Amino acid sequence: MSQITLLSSDNVEMKVDKEVAERSILIKNMLEDVGETPDQAIPIPNVNEGVLRKVIEWCEHHRNDPPPPADEDSDSRKKSTDIEEWDQKFMQVDQEMLFEIILAANYLDIKPLLDVGCKTVANMIKGKSPEEIRKTFNIQNDFTPEEEDQIRRENEWAEDR
Amino acid sequence: MGDNERFSDRPTSLPPPFPGQNRASLPVSLHSTKLVVKPLPTLPVEIIATILDYVPVSTLMRCARASRKLKEMAYDDSRWVNKLVAMGVWNEGEARRRFEDALKKKRLAQAKLAEEERRRRAASIGASVETRKSIGMGDTLFDVNEHEAKTMANGSAGAVAKLAQDVDLMNLSTQAEAQAPVVEKPKLTGVDTSDPTLTVLLDVRSARGFARQEYGRIYAALWPYYIDLVSARSHADPVVFRRYRNPEDQAVMLRQLTLFSESDSSLGWGERLSRLNSMSSIFENAVLREFEGGYEESDYDGRMKRYANVLILLNGGQGAIDLFVAKHYLMFERERLGNPMDCFSNLHSADLSMEPARQFFTLLSEAVNDQSSIIDRIFPPDLDVMIPFLERIGEDVIGEYISPLLEESHDRDIESYLKCITDIYVSVVQFSKSIRPAKGSEKNFTAEMTKIVIRIFEPHYDTYLQEELDHFRRLCEEEVESWEKKITDEYTATESFYLSNVNRQADKIDFLASFKKVILMPVNAIPLPPIKPINLAFPLPINPFIRPKPAIAAPPSISDAPTDNPYQITPDVTDTGTNGSETPVTPVPDAPATPQPQTAPTSELAAKAAILNTRMEGIRTLFSIELALDLVHKAKAALERAAYFVRFKRQIGEEAKEQCEQIFICLINILGQRHVKSGFDKAVTHLSQYNPRELSTAEEDEQVIVKPLVQFMELVNVGDLIQQMLDVFYEQELVAQKLTDKNDFLNPAIKEKKRFEQMLDERVAAGLNTGIDVLIKEVDYVFAKTQKPTDYNPGIVGDQNLPIDFGPSEAARKVVSLVASHTKLLVGSTDKNVLDVFNQEVGMRLWSSICKHLKIQRISIDGAIVLISDINHYTQFIVKLRNSGLTQYYNALRELVQIYLIDPQHAKQMAAVIADGTRFKGIFTVEEVYEFVTRRSDWYQIKKDVEKAMYGFGCSVM
Repeated sequence: MSQITLLSSDNVEMKVDKEVAERSILIKNMLEDVGETPDQAIPIPNVNEGVLRKVIEWCEHHRNDPPPPADEDSDSRKKSTDIEEWDQKFMQVDQEMLFEIILAANYLDIKPLLDVGCKTVANMIKGKSPEEIRKTFNIQNDFTPEEEDQIRRENEWAEDR
Repeated sequence: MGDNERFSDRPTSLPPPFPGQNRASLPVSLHSTKLVVKPLPTLPVEIIATILDYVPVSTLMRCARASRKLKEMAYDDSRWVNKLVAMGVWNEGEARRRFEDALKKKRLAQAKLAEEERRRRAASIGASVETRKSIGMGDTLFDVNEHEAKTMANGSAGAVAKLAQDVDLMNLSTQAEAQAPVVEKPKLTGVDTSDPTLTVLLDVRSARGFARQEYGRIYAALWPYYIDLVSARSHADPVVFRRYRNPEDQAVMLRQLTLFSESDSSLGWGERLSRLNSMSSIFENAVLREFEGGYEESDYDGRMKRYANVLILLNGGQGAIDLFVAKHYLMFERERLGNPMDCFSNLHSADLSMEPARQFFTLLSEAVNDQSSIIDRIFPPDLDVMIPFLERIGEDVIGEYISPLLEESHDRDIESYLKCITDIYVSVVQFSKSIRPAKGSEKNFTAEMTKIVIRIFEPHYDTYLQEELDHFRRLCEEEVESWEKKITDEYTATESFYLSNVNRQADKIDFLASFKKVILMPVNAIPLPPIKPINLAFPLPINPFIRPKPAIAAPPSISDAPTDNPYQITPDVTDTGTNGSETPVTPVPDAPATPQPQTAPTSELAAKAAILNTRMEGIRTLFSIELALDLVHKAKAALERAAYFVRFKRQIGEEAKEQCEQIFICLINILGQRHVKSGFDKAVTHLSQYNPRELSTAEEDEQVIVKPLVQFMELVNVGDLIQQMLDVFYEQELVAQKLTDKNDFLNPAIKEKKRFEQMLDERVAAGLNTGIDVLIKEVDYVFAKTQKPTDYNPGIVGDQNLPIDFGPSEAARKVVSLVASHTKLLVGSTDKNVLDVFNQEVGMRLWSSICKHLKIQRISIDGAIVLISDINHYTQFIVKLRNSGLTQYYNALRELVQIYLIDPQHAKQMAAVIADGTRFKGIFTVEEVYEFVTRRSDWYQIKKDVEKAMYGFGCSVM
């Protein structure tokens, strides 16, 4: 089993099995373009060591997963299956790390990991108030209180009673 | 990704990301010294959108309150339309119509308000903004049509949008009302339709831009029940069952909740769905138990009807149908209707009586028709219960009944199996016609019924078609073989043959006419001696498939035979006898020679065949018309049975058709290749071996006959008859019944038929060729034997007292009658062209024979008279053949023989005649004429004079 070397943004080299690294479609395509296993380390400029280790851990665990179905926009329900147990544990990290993993997965194009991350966030914000949601996503409230109240009244039907 | 910037508030102080030490060093060092508080990473907008897909609706609506961007994402109309689509309540056509209506109205309103808007430019912005936004589609409307409006102040555009929305909403409500009764009324029988919750899914309006509101309405109505149901611990807990008491309402609610669950795509839906499903299957089972209880008590109008309705409300009622069909008593009490083994009269024989089977189908038909009315009582008319019910009946009851029956009869005897399957087929079709459709099944009931019938026979028809063909082939081969064996046994015993050279044409036409008549009738109506008496009692009480014809046509044809025919036919037989009186006939040992017991002719056709057969006695050893007729009848029986299956459309029908053609091909092959061809071949060899000198039968007779040739001529006649028979059979049975396409020249049946005809023609031609040889040989023989030297040279013996007979000589008369009798035989049996060619050939060969004969005679002047009358006799005969080419030759011959009349003193004239090349139209050359002249009895006396006159000097040319 051939191995390749990844170089994190903070210049740490990591050896991984090619098969594991290829969970990332970005790396996979890159290796295909090159044609053979490169000798030099592949720089992953947007991901630091800690996050990269975490991502590789995930890839190691899921190295034998079947490839995700090609038709992406088929049924939104098919995608939204529950998070499996190992992934749930894996995602028990602080919010910062969670977001970093999501961003890294997005950058490295690891769709299943991105989905797990999104689902985790979805679980996180479930039942939270608008203010908490803002805080989670780190966004500003650009509504006037009247506007916000108007929206609340519009969607009163959705409130859990 | 431009939007990304809004969320990723990455401090601008950070250097642009690039690999290398520079990039990492600053933040790391800053981090380590804790000089900067590291900001939380932020997610790009499309990731947030993905996250929103996973959150429950309640959370989604809170997110909408977080910021404008999030609200836009949450309110996105397509998100809500998808949910409505998932529930199956979104009507794209309706949405489009509304959209176009709205567009029209907006344009009108826009035109009206254009003036106003301009004045109201300064109107409030506030609430109207989101109104405009909320109808996402509204935006696109404006930027296409009212580009200027877009450029106006927010307020005025908002006002328009608001107005448009109001118009639209008005529209919505009216349409919804107009639609509601159509969908609602017929569906929910026994349901409290006044409760809006129970009809919430039926009232959904499909309008772009309002999907969220519509979904909100449904959500408000169903979500509490849904979430309560899926979290309930036992089936007694859910509010739904406490709030709604009667089973109809509960069924409707469960159905709505099941549909609603389709729109639940937030995390955990899988578990919720399975809980809901298990809850509704608990409910369904309970209802089914009630339904079954009603079934056991035969409470059709009460419990069964009510709970069938509940099940229909719940999930379309499939469960009720399945239960009804599966628990039906007919499936279990099949034996009561009849045992297939009843059809066999005893344990091992092949005798088969279809009476029990027919009874079985009658009983079944009654039982099913009873069920039809019960189904009408239990189930509403828009539910098709009858077809699934009949499918099961077909599979479990009929299939189980006929399979052992067919298998058993197949094992016992193929012949009865073949009859049995067609009989059963007729019964099943009749059964299918006798079924009265229930109200829910009236639409394409017949088509469905046909499908069921096909399914019943699907496992059998393949075997059947194969067996039919095999059986037919075997039967035919057996027949032919036994016939051949019989003939070889007999061949050595007697070889007498029957001769009558009367014209057969009338008889043949007569025979063919009755053949045609008979072939039109179904074979079952014709009593055929060779077929084993299997008592199938074919005519069913009401048989839709047998054409009405036989019932009327068959009895007369049978009763006709004994009354009319003896008078019609027996004289015919004696007639040949009287005809034969002028030409002596070797008496036929009728009864002992025909080993086949002469059964009394039971039908016109059989009688005629018998008569024809006795007449064809001469060729008995070659082939038999009776056998041919028999085979044709078997083919007809086979075809008729197979033709039942042609009525199936599509594949089975096609295969059956193919098989019918195969049967026909098989018939032609056996009849043609095996029977007729070998007969012809035998005759031809027989003919070619003929040597007139070996046989002396004609010694005393005045009439000279070449036996094998006569035999062969008969053969040609019969061959022609068989061919015509096959032709009629093909036309009537295959083409008229649409079993084959006459115009398809690639069709194997047609090809085979052509080949048969061709084969026949070839044999006839080959036979005629040999026949002519033999005939001329016979002529030569007659010449050699009967022509006395004194015929043409009476003076040679010196007996002057011999009475001079001025008629043709005996030899000439014999030859002419010999040839004439044979040429006559062919008339009417072959093609006119063949006949012409034959006659011409015979004439020519006869002519050269005469010439050859003349060249060995000595002819005196007195004898010339006889010779001339001989030649006249020949010519007369030839003229009757109506062949102008031949007549010329004979005329030339007539001219020529006058040479012998010239007095020896007129040598010069003789020379002139010889030298005149044009005199005989080039038929005789000068040398030939000279040769003829040398046959004069006084030639050596006049030779010198003639040659002198010819060449002007005395010496010979030769």
